[in-house]
Amino acid sequence: MKSTISAVLVGVVLVGGAVIFSNQAPSMPSEPTTTISNVTDNDGTQIIAITAKGGYSPKLTTAKADTKTILTVQTTGTFDCSATLNIPSLKYQTNLPPTGVTEIEIPPQPAGSTLEGMCGMGMYGFEIAFK
Amino acid sequence: MKTYTLHASGMHCASCPVLIEDELTCLTTVTNVKASLKLQQVEITGDFGDVTLETIAEKLNTTLKLHGYRLSPEKQNHTAKWHEFMIALPLTLAFIAFFIVLQKIGLVNLITTDKVSYGTAFFIGMIASVSTCMAVVGGLVLSMSANYAKEGDKVRPQLFFHLGRLVSFFVLGGVIGSLGSVFQIGATGTIVLSFVVAFVLLILGINLLDVFPWAKKLQLTLPKFMGTHVHGLKQMNHTLTPVLIGVATFFLPCGFTQSMQIYSLTTGSFITGALTMFVFALGTLPVLALLSFSSLTIHTKARSGVFFKTAGLVVVFFGLFNLHNALVIAGIIPSFINF
Repeated sequence: MKSTISAVLVGVVLVGGAVIFSNQAPSMPSEPTTTISNVTDNDGTQIIAITAKGGYSPKLTTAKADTKTILTVQTTGTFDCSATLNIPSLKYQTNLPPTGVTEIEIPPQPAGSTLEGMCGMGMYGFEIAFK
Repeated sequence: MKTYTLHASGMHCASCPVLIEDELTCLTTVTNVKASLKLQQVEITGDFGDVTLETIAEKLNTTLKLHGYRLSPEKQNHTAKWHEFMIALPLTLAFIAFFIVLQKIGLVNLITTDKVSYGTAFFIGMIASVSTCMAVVGGLVLSMSANYAKEGDKVRPQLFFHLGRLVSFFVLGGVIGSLGSVFQIGATGTIVLSFVVAFVLLILGINLLDVFPWAKKLQLTLPKFMGTHVHGLKQMNHTLTPVLIGVATFFLPCGFTQSMQIYSLTTGSFITGALTMFVFALGTLPVLALLSFSSLTIHTKARSGVFFKTAGLVVVFFGLFNLHNALVIAGIIPSFINF
């Protein structure tokens, strides 16, 4: 009985640890860097760079609203789910090449809106918040 | 000549009553048999002489034992055996933790090439088998393994499944290699398939848990009209069904499988497409084989209960994971799992 309780505890700790570890790892380095590093301005068009391999990075990007936007998605030997990119609100769906850069044009988005992208099976995703 | 009613245990699908009727009608002492899945009863008419109901049940059981059914004069109460969860639950949690860690350690970063050689395809297959695709194909394999093990058939259906999978990946890979995108499923198709997979896994998983007797009514099986009067029905269920499930895995939503299919499309050659898909499937074989033969670890009856409960919980988890993903891509809920 005692051993069962401790086994349950170990299991809960393992799952909890895995979940906490997984939630912290990506958000810590990406939070301060996203706004500065992956959005560049090119003659009035903002370019948002995102990499796709085993998920998307950065997961959260803040961009300017009401601006013509181009999303560039870079793949490097990407064979997993993130190669099948969906942006539901734009009704956009594509199969990214294993290696290369894919450009996606995004019409100006209103302030306060969030554009969500995800892989074909739904377990990887990224968000672009327009401000 | 008299008619007796016996309670049956072990009937779990529409083909079971047919099989029981077939088997018992062959006995010389029996003239008529009527088995009911709903009532879990067998009505039997025959000339057994002046013996007790127990003796008749025992006699019939010698025939039915091989198929995993048991007749008895009294109704066997369904017992949920909750104590088995004491071991099954921690085992499941440990497995889920292991699964999450596998997703977090970035195995995909081991793929550094963008040229698909057969070696790469094999390697991608190995990584796919421990990726989130494990929640789809692995879940199906595990529930199949456990379900067949319940009927005492641990090895053969699994071999047929892997045979079906490998052969279909070769043939269908060749077909898309030479003909191009004939099986493009598309976004809507993927969503529909994801929901189907999720519900199938949930039903199979809940049945494996064996705590809700009502779930038996949802059991997936061939419709009875197909089963009636077909001889060797169990035979078919244990060979054709696994082969078909193996073939179906070609179409199941999995990012890696899809990438390999897209590559095969571009080869424009039957043999290159066929070999790429085949080698990819070979790469997934070690882990899938581990899951499908996991039922071989059952040596004692006490252990089997724990095994089925653990398998059930893992399959339910995979089902919920797929349901979450399907709801996310359908745009019904925001994602709350993001690897």
